[in-house]
Amino acid sequence: MKKSWKVTASAMMTVLLLAGCGSNSGASNGSTNAETGGKGSEKTVTLKMFIGLPRFKDQFDQYIDKFVAKEKAEKNIDVKVQLEMPNSDNASQILKTRLASNDAPDIFSIHAINEIPSFYKAGYLEDLTSQPFVGKLLDSVKPSVTIDNKVVAVPLESVSWGYLYNKKIFSDLKLTPPTTLSEMKTLVETLKKNNITPFELAYKESWIPQLFLPLSVGAQIQTGNKDFIERMNKNEGSFAEMKSMFDIIDLVNANGTNKALEVGGDDGAAAFANGKAAMWVQGPWYAETIQKANPDIDFGVAPLPLSDNPDQTLINLGASTSLVVSPTSKNKDVALDFINFVLDDKESSGFYESLKFNPVATIHNYKSYPWVDDATVYVKEGKAYRDPSIPQAVKDEVGKGLQSYFSKQLSQDDVIKALDKAWKDYNKVNK
Amino acid sequence: MLKKSRNLRSMLYFVGPALLFYTLFMLIPTIGGMFYSITDWNGLNRNYSFVGFANFVEALTDDPDFINALLFTLKYVVVMVILQNVLALLLAVFIESRTRFKGFFRTIFFMPNMISLIISAFMWTFVFTQVLPQLAEKTALLFLDQSWIGDPKFSFFSIVIVSLWNGVGYMMIIYLAGLQGVPQSLKEAAVIDGANPVQTFRHITLPMISHAITICFFLTLNGAFKVFEVVFGLTGGGPGRSTQVITMNIYEEAFSNNFRYGYASAKSVILFIIILLVTLIQIRVTKRNEVEA
Repeated sequence: MKKSWKVTASAMMTVLLLAGCGSNSGASNGSTNAETGGKGSEKTVTLKMFIGLPRFKDQFDQYIDKFVAKEKAEKNIDVKVQLEMPNSDNASQILKTRLASNDAPDIFSIHAINEIPSFYKAGYLEDLTSQPFVGKLLDSVKPSVTIDNKVVAVPLESVSWGYLYNKKIFSDLKLTPPTTLSEMKTLVETLKKNNITPFELAYKESWIPQLFLPLSVGAQIQTGNKDFIERMNKNEGSFAEMKSMFDIIDLVNANGTNKALEVGGDDGAAAFANGKAAMWVQGPWYAETIQKANPDIDFGVAPLPLSDNPDQTLINLGASTSLVVSPTSKNKDVALDFINFVLDDKESSGFYESLKFNPVATIHNYKSYPWVDDATVYVKEGKAYRDPSIPQAVKDEVGKGLQSYFSKQLSQDDVIKALDKAWKDYNKVNK
Repeated sequence: MLKKSRNLRSMLYFVGPALLFYTLFMLIPTIGGMFYSITDWNGLNRNYSFVGFANFVEALTDDPDFINALLFTLKYVVVMVILQNVLALLLAVFIESRTRFKGFFRTIFFMPNMISLIISAFMWTFVFTQVLPQLAEKTALLFLDQSWIGDPKFSFFSIVIVSLWNGVGYMMIIYLAGLQGVPQSLKEAAVIDGANPVQTFRHITLPMISHAITICFFLTLNGAFKVFEVVFGLTGGGPGRSTQVITMNIYEEAFSNNFRYGYASAKSVILFIIILLVTLIQIRVTKRNEVEA
């Protein structure tokens, strides 16, 4: 009996010891990170960056080299950049761990629409409103990185999207993207008469059916239901107001390719690229995959019609990956210099072009892709709305809900009920 | 007293390295998880508050998805524990009864176990979505052309098939070892007493391998409750949440919904308690039936 007690006690001691070690090492880490050897006029600064876009490592490396050279020339500061580019799947996970352990990178990337609100509330974002780059941002992009009237991020990726359509099939049959739901129905009939499947369905990954939600909610907010998001955040609204979104969902589901729930995004892109279907409710972020599957494909972006009101047929416009500065950064000046350098008058245009991102600032004057131009035409006509700020939890829920709706396990009302509950839960957690 | 402390010290030397890593990577996180289960931490905020047992109450009374995931997991556990053990035992008996090619069959059946579960799930995704429909087209086996992954009626079977394919081999090896430990003299005595093969199996072999049965039941039970990779790789819990297992529900709660780490920790504590209770009962019951040669 006595012996076993001793064993337990020594085990406990070990635990305590180890726990002690753990916190110690954490603290010492923190102090080494803050190392800024300042000697006379020549200053050395270590800048830590965390950007979840590993596929663009080369472009970022080059751009950072330019920044280092510029900083050395203008301010005589030796900048050492520790660039970390984790896979986007776990980037946000790693970032949160860093922030929670008080080891925030000086500059990091987050998703403008999805992540800015929660990061802002937790106090991890520096206010950038007074920075020079703000004046260069396009008016259509600026709201995506603004919260409480403060600009908190510089947008990198921005997308304007609705659905993709195969321009060859459309021109062969002398069709144009429809502006109302009835026109869409006629178009679907024409396609079917010509033995062409109207829609590509790839519902295996729940984020794809999820796309219907930002499209339909965004357009309905823009055309009347202005305070929907605010009311939902106060537990006063319901998705029952958005029920008409099922009109277009039903039309797409009823006229799509087979075995939708077994087709993932990449398979869907390949099928669409090879003309298996004329349209795909999807954004141009799949452009690269589609072109890889069929380099000759000619496709465009058009706004998805929701009802017989042509004013509701709008393009979704939003920023996604954006760079922010940590308020706890030890080298905030240099970090801010870099943020401004991202939209540098001379260099920025080439940088964004090499990343194949859409223009986000007035200084961007490169030639973009045809599908970007397609969408830009609508945006310039004012036929666009800002991607609505729907909580991620609700987006996840709608993806799963629409999968179940497609496999006839849930009715429309069930989906709406589940969405309302998801948003209420979100409110409860983020009060 | 001196001897005792020396004993203790030598024991610590032996278990020390393992204990160190166990504490560092298992015990401390487990205790941490239990601690977070009574908070409302969201994984991001620096401060959080204690909410007592509210998380547990919510999980059990106000979270239909969690309860559905729990029921689905239970269904999976029952099917898997029975099928995996029956099939493994059958294979073991079959291989043990062969005189030639023993090693060959043993290797063949064990091989799937050496492939990581997530990879076998992806392999089988290909089989279910491409190979089987093609096969149905080429042959007349039309029943093969199902929506094996997309249709909630079939996806359960797909999951079970892949888990069995992957897991049976390991149990089979344990049963083989058990079967080889059954003394020949007992079997011969039974034959001399006029027992037929079925009777010998029922009254000699089964009791003699009961320790293997205990281990295998424990492993399958434990593993089936914690199933994640197969479902994640095959269906991702979908369509909707129709094949969502409990671990996946926890994962979703913590990492993709509202980042309710505290609430998700509470759910994992519930899972931990369930597994603990069930396996304790199982070991009690099967241990009681064990016999020594």
